[in-house]
Amino acid sequence: MNKQWFKVIAGVLGLSMVLVACGGAKEEKKTAGEGQQKEELPMVELVWNFPLSAIPQDLDTVQEAVNKITKGKINATVKLKAHTFADYNQKMNTVVASGESYDIAWTANWNWDYLQNQSKGAFLELDDLLNSNAPGLLKSMPEFVWDAAKIQGKVYGVPNYQTVTKREGFIIQKRFADKYSLDVSSIKKLEDIEPFLKQIKEGESAEIVPFLNDKYGRFNIMPQSLGMEAITANNIIGVDLKNPETPINLYETEQYKHYLDTMRNWYTKGYINENAATLKNKNDIIQTGNAAVQFHNVLKPGGEVEAKAANGGNDVIYVPLTEPYASTGTVITTMQAINKNSKNPERAMMFINLLNTDKELYNTISFGVEGKHYTKVSDNVIQVNKDGGYAPNAGWVFGNTFNGYLVEGVDPAVLEETKKANESATKSPLMGFKFDSTPVMAEIANLATVIDQYLPALETGTWDPNEKLKEFQDKLKQAGTDKVMDELAKQIKAWKQTK
Amino acid sequence: MPTSQVAINKKTANRFIESKQSRWSSRIINLFFCLLSILFIIPLLLVISISFTDEKTLLQSGYQLIPEKFSLAAYSLIFDSPGVLLNAYGITILVTVIGTVIGLFLTSLTAYTISRKDYRYRKIMTFFVFFTTLFSGGLVPFYIMVTQYLHLKDTIGALIVPYLLSPFFILVMKGFMDKIPLEVIESAKMDGASEWRIFFTMVIPLSLPAMVTIGLFISFQYWNDWWLGLLFIDNQNLIPLQLMLYRVMSTIEYLSNNLSSVNVSIDMTQFPSLSTRMAMAVLAAGPMMLVFPFFQKYFISGLTVGSVKG
Repeated sequence: MNKQWFKVIAGVLGLSMVLVACGGAKEEKKTAGEGQQKEELPMVELVWNFPLSAIPQDLDTVQEAVNKITKGKINATVKLKAHTFADYNQKMNTVVASGESYDIAWTANWNWDYLQNQSKGAFLELDDLLNSNAPGLLKSMPEFVWDAAKIQGKVYGVPNYQTVTKREGFIIQKRFADKYSLDVSSIKKLEDIEPFLKQIKEGESAEIVPFLNDKYGRFNIMPQSLGMEAITANNIIGVDLKNPETPINLYETEQYKHYLDTMRNWYTKGYINENAATLKNKNDIIQTGNAAVQFHNVLKPGGEVEAKAANGGNDVIYVPLTEPYASTGTVITTMQAINKNSKNPERAMMFINLLNTDKELYNTISFGVEGKHYTKVSDNVIQVNKDGGYAPNAGWVFGNTFNGYLVEGVDPAVLEETKKANESATKSPLMGFKFDSTPVMAEIANLATVIDQYLPALETGTWDPNEKLKEFQDKLKQAGTDKVMDELAKQIKAWKQTK
Repeated sequence: MPTSQVAINKKTANRFIESKQSRWSSRIINLFFCLLSILFIIPLLLVISISFTDEKTLLQSGYQLIPEKFSLAAYSLIFDSPGVLLNAYGITILVTVIGTVIGLFLTSLTAYTISRKDYRYRKIMTFFVFFTTLFSGGLVPFYIMVTQYLHLKDTIGALIVPYLLSPFFILVMKGFMDKIPLEVIESAKMDGASEWRIFFTMVIPLSLPAMVTIGLFISFQYWNDWWLGLLFIDNQNLIPLQLMLYRVMSTIEYLSNNLSSVNVSIDMTQFPSLSTRMAMAVLAAGPMMLVFPFFQKYFISGLTVGSVKG
């Protein structure tokens, strides 16, 4: 009896192992010839994975139009595989693990992590390909953008060049600013807005929220205005920009205490929405047009137009507190990488090159087909047809956004201003550094639990920081902040040496 | 399936109490289960009510059981361009019907085979089935199996085949079929009935409660599924209803969690409003909620018998 059972189990296990092994075996990468001429290129099909807010209904028409262009230029067709942002991570992990073939995939530091997947060996090293197959691409972006994309000195992903800066400050509804004749130039730091909040609280109906906050707090998006840069997940550990080699616990700084006191003060005075500590999706409130003042970290040129739509059609003004700032994190928010097992890496690189340098291709993939998905208002300005079945409204997923048409209503000067902001931005002293959290994974997870427990109520002013801040800091310490700081210091040191 | 379990508990509890205990305590227990049922129903009612509430009132005064300002805007928005929704409905119905019929057939066949006491390898076969409830190959081997060996990627088969046989359902049904006496089958055999004839004319009618119960469970599984679609379907014309809903919900959630610290712009206004989302949820859940009560009477015999035998 026992023997029989053993045989059955052994058989089942053996069979499953064979199945796994078969599936895992991948075709060997072919070494392809270099320096081929365009005419000699054999026809290939590339597969490109990327995420969007929603999968467009009319992707087929766009794919056809894209292929018409690529066939003529690099004799390749492209299969567009669109996913949603929420599914993307899981889907791509499965694709990579199962060895399913694809050529190009979108990656970033906030979705399907660039660093993590590179260390798993998912991406092809691109430096040689860039030099030989993408002549225009290298020059199309400033040097520091390429620096930010480097992992241990090598490029594994091509950034989609767009706004690479952050600028922190207030988004204020114009109607209130006008009504109370707000002097914008008087606002230099967070607490300068307080008199205005007071006016709104006293002068407007109860449904208007003077200062909108949600459960994620605002502190994590204002390190720059406080002279710091956050590095680890959950923004626990970062550096003081004056001394960028020594990691600090952001939640133990003077600035944090000051932020909490300000929030507590505003909360008790009723300037902050009462449900802030439990509010997950603040967009529902913003949409009603009831949020008078918000703090945001990406006040980019021309953003007021987008913000108007998001604020229920109310005009807004931007009041920045900082100058544009660029760091690794602001650059690698959207990139294209090539699959290590791609059968046609050269062609994939040529395609990425086109995406970033060919206006016709970029506009087709970003806006669809003229007449069907958009109409031209003038030479460079278009109007998007919302019912056309293709309106991804996210050109930054695809390539260099500076090649794109302007959507009607956006100030034509925006592109120039963005470019200028990118080039003139203050660069982080840690540009290019990426923190690998694998050695301290357990600590990071523990810290996340503590954060979940304390942060929402503390950062919205719901709790009195005098009572709870100490407790929060102690818990963080217990969960292992010291170990994370040590690891970070070690990695910064190692990174400095590779520079 | 918490609602069905509650239904079962409630009924069996009531019977037990009426015969053995005083009225006073039975009233308390009845009251308790009434309250429990209400607790289960309220969230559902809330979803329905939100779907009928005017969006602006909703955002200003929050969720209310009775809509402050009644509005059909959410539904009219969905039915304005019903093409996508109807297509998804069609896929879901097709998958549910085909899947349930074939799945039920295969499940009962397997269960019947391993419940026959004169079948020599029934113990090993049962163990095979049982073994899969303990260990699974994991996601990646499963994905490889379906896409690279069965070549089902982007076909309707990918939505049906993986759920055809569920070991749990087989074991529940086996538990029921174990009670069919072997003598009945043997006598039919002596009268010259073939195996197929025995199965169709005797075994299936005899195990009707189990068939109905398991059939309903299988159809629920197909109806509520978005997972297979997510993994295997890229063709937008083959997207099932629940996946459509899931994508909207999960993307909104994902973006509102992640977007605040990233310098990319996504227009959150392009997502359906709260009441529209709830209307979609109602439309997605509706048909099954209506079907459920009609099958409930079978549950008591169908499931308890199965569970007694384990």
